[in-house]
Amino acid sequence: MIQKTPVIRIALTHLLAKKRQTIVAMLGVTFGIAIFIFQAGLMSGFQAYFIDETVNTTANIRIYNEAEKNRKSILAKRDTASNKWIVVQNQKPKDELNKVKNGYQIIAALEKDPRVSGVSPFLGSQAIFKVGIAQIAGRVSGVDIIKENILFDVSKNMRQGDITKLQTIPNGIILGDGLADLLGAKMHDNISITSPLGVTLEMKIVGINHSGLTEVDKSRAYINIRNAQKLLKVDGSYITDINIKLKDFNQAEALAKFYHQKFGFKTVDWKEANASVFSVFKIQNMVTYLIIASILIVSGFGIFNILMMIIYEKMPDIAILKAIGYKDIDIKKIFLTESLIIGVLGGLLGLIIGFLMQKIVGSIRMDIKGFVSMEYLRFNTSPGFYLFAYIFGLVATSIAGYIPARKAAKMDAIDIIRSK
Amino acid sequence: MGNIIETKNLSKSFHDPVEFQALKNINVSIKQGEFAAIVGSSGSGKSTLLYVLSTLDTDYTGHIFFDGDDLSLKSKNDLAEIRNEKIGFVFQFHYLLPEFTVLENVCLPALKLAKYSEAEIRERAYQKLDLLGLRDQALKKANKLSGGQQQRVAIARALINDPKIIFGDEPTGNLDSKNSQNVFEIFKELKEQFNQSIVVVTHDMNFAERTDRIITLSDGEVVSQ
Repeated sequence: MIQKTPVIRIALTHLLAKKRQTIVAMLGVTFGIAIFIFQAGLMSGFQAYFIDETVNTTANIRIYNEAEKNRKSILAKRDTASNKWIVVQNQKPKDELNKVKNGYQIIAALEKDPRVSGVSPFLGSQAIFKVGIAQIAGRVSGVDIIKENILFDVSKNMRQGDITKLQTIPNGIILGDGLADLLGAKMHDNISITSPLGVTLEMKIVGINHSGLTEVDKSRAYINIRNAQKLLKVDGSYITDINIKLKDFNQAEALAKFYHQKFGFKTVDWKEANASVFSVFKIQNMVTYLIIASILIVSGFGIFNILMMIIYEKMPDIAILKAIGYKDIDIKKIFLTESLIIGVLGGLLGLIIGFLMQKIVGSIRMDIKGFVSMEYLRFNTSPGFYLFAYIFGLVATSIAGYIPARKAAKMDAIDIIRSK
Repeated sequence: MGNIIETKNLSKSFHDPVEFQALKNINVSIKQGEFAAIVGSSGSGKSTLLYVLSTLDTDYTGHIFFDGDDLSLKSKNDLAEIRNEKIGFVFQFHYLLPEFTVLENVCLPALKLAKYSEAEIRERAYQKLDLLGLRDQALKKANKLSGGQQQRVAIARALINDPKIIFGDEPTGNLDSKNSQNVFEIFKELKEQFNQSIVVVTHDMNFAERTDRIITLSDGEVVSQ
């Protein structure tokens, strides 16, 4: 009946005396948290999915060679005396290969590195895909499919066929599903590919692949690295890229620098390779959190409002509590407790509603085909995220409650008594 | 018998809206067990004196010694503790928490003091209610009681921590003559039975004349005591 600290009792009594306003203030918090859970959950769920897919389709680190641009003319290199002008006009890029020299030795060295969990050689080329009169320009990826599978989990994304056929069938090819659709090609069909050098190979479709990244699926095919070398008329040691998978992909940036120094070739880590996407995410997040913050500010005003109403109505209570020995801090506690009750209950309800919104919308089949393709929307449902949303809400309500609470604590008992 | 309250050159001024000296060099003392009435016409400063004496108003010059302590040296929180433990209040408007029961209202100061266990506090609250003939009303909501009953609840609440002194600010100002009489009898009994010090501000001369002592204020000065 009576609690040792009447603070909570008094707070509850105040709120119950203003049921409707209390519920409205509570629903404000509920709405804010629910939107937080839904909106930010959608955003971060999508981003996590995208990063997942990107990490699965972009090498943690890629080692490659780049043709030297704006190289010094051979004359300038020879004659370094400073009192001469040397101008060579119309200088062409050197006809050198984008080859990673000693590629297989580097791969062997990398495979011994304990931080590396997989290494895959890569030889890419532009190619024209032809089935009858249908022609599509795309890219072929010459790979060692077993190693490639360790890096990118190709087998998980196979719609039809089997990745090992790429090894067992000499002229096998695995098409992206979008590409196969564009060509009108089906499993076991024959297809010809032509390289920029004019080499044409007759291939047999041994698999259809769906990576989830729409652009990639519309343009990419896997072939054995030997066939890629044939297309480009190069020898069996020729590779253009080495893709590396790390045990911890967060180390990519540091290790990329390390490998650059060690092997002398260009390196790029997955974050750098997708920098444009991450900057889009940043803006997305900013907008999302701005919206959520403004919703919570509005619900904060709801709390502020009701507390001010209660305070003005309950001024005699404040006066008598002060007269009988309650300190300013006790008065402050009463009103802070009121805002916390609103925040705690409203927030909990918000978590539940947010969770239900996630479940309901997440169960609707969307079949999104855009940037990435997914059948259902993905939400961030981690407990940490819910906790973060809840704490965010509680902080907002505490701030909204603090100002009226301080005002109540500062009220002068005498002024109240006199004015009666 | 010592002085429970003693003032030395107590003065107080209001600055807003115009400079106005409400209390001028007041030197009074209240003895333990004394039942005193402060009277004076409205605007004479009698309520102001009560608020200053009762530690609610700290904006004054001079000194107030309460139970031997100089109040001007105390912090706001210290004063709140003094009010809680040693002072009981009865106001013209009863200032009960309307949604709480009579018993809870009476318990409030004791719960803050936390000197006794909850069960003891409840027991003591019943004793005080008994004293005022309100035991059967204990579990009713405070706002369900009549004005006279509410004022008696306020007195019970003032008594719960066995204060050194009770201050009354027009405690009968809002009551009919029967209930006024009743409140006076209660004060009288508290003084006689428990040697309770009581200071009451009133404009009811009938009430004041029956106390031990009348302190008359006029324009902020004590004209007789």
